[in-house]
Amino acid sequence: MDILEVKNLKKSFSGTPVLKDISFTLKEGNVLSVIGSSGSGKTTLLRCITGLETADSGLISVAGETVFDSKRGKPVSKAMKRHYQLLTGLVFQDFRLFPQYSVLKNVTLAKELLLKEELKEKKVSKAEKKEMLAKIENQAKSIIESVGLKDKLASYPCELSGGQQQRAAIARALILSPKILCFDEPTSALDPEITGEVLNVISSLAKEGRTMLIVTHEMGFAKEVSDRVLFMDNGIIAEEGTSSEIFDYPRSERLKSFLNSALKV
Amino acid sequence: MKKILAVIMAVVLVTVCFAACGTKNNEVNKETTYSIADAYAAVKFEPAEISGDDYDYIKSNGKLIVGITDFEPMDYKDENGNWIGFDADMAYAFAKWLGIDVEFVEIDWDNKVLELDGKSIDCVWNGMTLTDEVKSAMECSNAYCNNAQVVIVKAADADKYNTVEACKELTFAVEAGSAGEEIATENGFKATAVKDQATTLMEIKSGTCDAAVIDKLMAAAMVGEGTNYADLTYTVDLNSEEYGVGFRKGSELADAFNNFLKQATDNGFIEVVAEQYGVQASLIK
Amino acid sequence: MNSFIEQFPVVFSALNVGFLQTLKLFAVTLIGAIPLGLIIAMGSMSKFKPLSKAVKTVVWIVRGSPLMIQLLIIYYFPGLVFNNPVWGGGERGRFFAACVAFVINYACYFSEIYRGGIEGVPIGQHEAGIVLGMSKGQIFFKVTLLQMIKRIVPPMSNEIITLVKDTSLARIIALQEIIWAGQAFLKGSQGISGQIWPLFFTGVYYLIFSGLLTILFSGIEKKLSYFKI
Repeated sequence: MDILEVKNLKKSFSGTPVLKDISFTLKEGNVLSVIGSSGSGKTTLLRCITGLETADSGLISVAGETVFDSKRGKPVSKAMKRHYQLLTGLVFQDFRLFPQYSVLKNVTLAKELLLKEELKEKKVSKAEKKEMLAKIENQAKSIIESVGLKDKLASYPCELSGGQQQRAAIARALILSPKILCFDEPTSALDPEITGEVLNVISSLAKEGRTMLIVTHEMGFAKEVSDRVLFMDNGIIAEEGTSSEIFDYPRSERLKSFLNSALKV
Repeated sequence: MKKILAVIMAVVLVTVCFAACGTKNNEVNKETTYSIADAYAAVKFEPAEISGDDYDYIKSNGKLIVGITDFEPMDYKDENGNWIGFDADMAYAFAKWLGIDVEFVEIDWDNKVLELDGKSIDCVWNGMTLTDEVKSAMECSNAYCNNAQVVIVKAADADKYNTVEACKELTFAVEAGSAGEEIATENGFKATAVKDQATTLMEIKSGTCDAAVIDKLMAAAMVGEGTNYADLTYTVDLNSEEYGVGFRKGSELADAFNNFLKQATDNGFIEVVAEQYGVQASLIK
Repeated sequence: MNSFIEQFPVVFSALNVGFLQTLKLFAVTLIGAIPLGLIIAMGSMSKFKPLSKAVKTVVWIVRGSPLMIQLLIIYYFPGLVFNNPVWGGGERGRFFAACVAFVINYACYFSEIYRGGIEGVPIGQHEAGIVLGMSKGQIFFKVTLLQMIKRIVPPMSNEIITLVKDTSLARIIALQEIIWAGQAFLKGSQGISGQIWPLFFTGVYYLIFSGLLTILFSGIEKKLSYFKI
């Protein structure tokens, strides 16, 4: 089943087209990597899918819900916007943890806020509420443990290395159980020797069968973890295929030269 | 360090509270025989017959707001914090005569015209010298008191500087914007303008100036034996001038005051008040 | 009353009365200017251009002209120009006028500090909140507010300590704060005249008060030092 469908997506910034008619799909449980040189439109594509940017035209549907359709007449309500927002998760290149909160609080915050909003309308006893919050905390702890930060629960972001911060950021995205988890160059801001710890976490998520959309410069990683790969060049999908099709049997000259230069680096 | 500061602050705050809330139990005013209310009640005035906008305005406010500065013996506070003095008592009586209350407000002397025109006060009544400037900016009453601008020098040099000519070699301190500054300039003195008359005396005492020009009434009260400035004295009278009350330009209250002043002179009331504050010699009769 | 020992209690209690006035003006200014500054900051950052232009012009005028002039205008203008002395002549009126002038003046200064604080929080923090499904209000109160506060504490403490000393400007409209009280003994008051030490002694009050504020603010900075931005 296609959990993500992108159709004829177009986006330009002050007249310069960045996405020129992008269409692709992603199956549930698959990992899709997007590769391409800087300025090819990868990040913009990701931002459109996760709702940080609004495309100019086209359609995006996630898990059967049309989250964006340029032909839709009336604007989407705030509540629906937030509902759509929670269908996808995004891990940023520069982590963006909340500096004033501990790792645990970073992970629980959004879910706690959602719960509190929900409970506002219902009548729930204090004890029940406390129990629900404790449940969130326990869930957060096990997720944090799964990304290998068990002993950093109470640490603040400024006390963590880049790799640890990125793993915490992944945990923060995971707790909301997004249908698709997106990564925007998750290791680009890290020192080469610690990219491994983050990539390992993402690989193990892939093994668990999580649906992921990964924009990355790590070719070896992309080859290993991806079911399918998109090669973007200058705002279009220049080539698309399985991991082996793209990396082992590239067809176009453009992709070949990109892979050559990427591997040299 | 924190503790020391906290203790000091606590002391300050406690004292603030005492000063603000407590009443001072100083000795009772020695001159119990005099009270301005009694003095006013003891004489007879013809009732006031006034009409005009400014009168209607203060009448509707129910009070005459008098702009003053702390200026002994004209306007100053007694031990209980009430305003007394020759001018303050006369203002009290004048307001009584108008059938309204009196309120005293301390002002910045430099801003007296602003205060008057901005209606935050209704008159300036504070030993104000009737200069041309004052007369052009306010509706001034007739003079009620004589004054002079005098030269203040160290008592030891008093014999040397008893003429205007001799004084020209001195450096002077004068109050900015005062009659003293005006006359010092007219006489060609080298003068530095300072904040107020008291500061001019400080200037001499500290040696930054040789001499000062101030009001004779004030000089009588502030320099010479028995004062803080025992080693200063006053020599040359540079002019003779007069004190008056300033009202808003065009106000009919100036005439009303002239009427009141005439009656107070005729029935001896002003003499009683003046004696209380030792200014009877300066009254205009 | 010639000896210092005799003068001291009189001067001390007069200065205390003046200092109480100083403190009152200080407190009212903070209580008024801290929230008003936020409203002004919101106005100057508004996407509605005419509003932000207008607010920025007001801020420019208020920050660009001396507080002393503003005090004079606010206190004297209603009577001079509109023939309606709204403040009245008494001490209360002068105090209220001073409060209005100070609140407006300081709100404008604070608004610029707030603006710097708000704009200083990276947009990425806001985006991180969005992708976690947080509402705008939640993002402001739970994410950006504390980061903003951490940013504005140092400049705010500077400004607030300046305010302590600026209160003395209110004597231009004859508000009898502590400097006025100290100066009275120079001219002569309560039987003490020609004394300059009370004026200098007022400095002790300012030093103690701003010292306490410095301790308070460094305490707050310390409290917020557990995280870095």
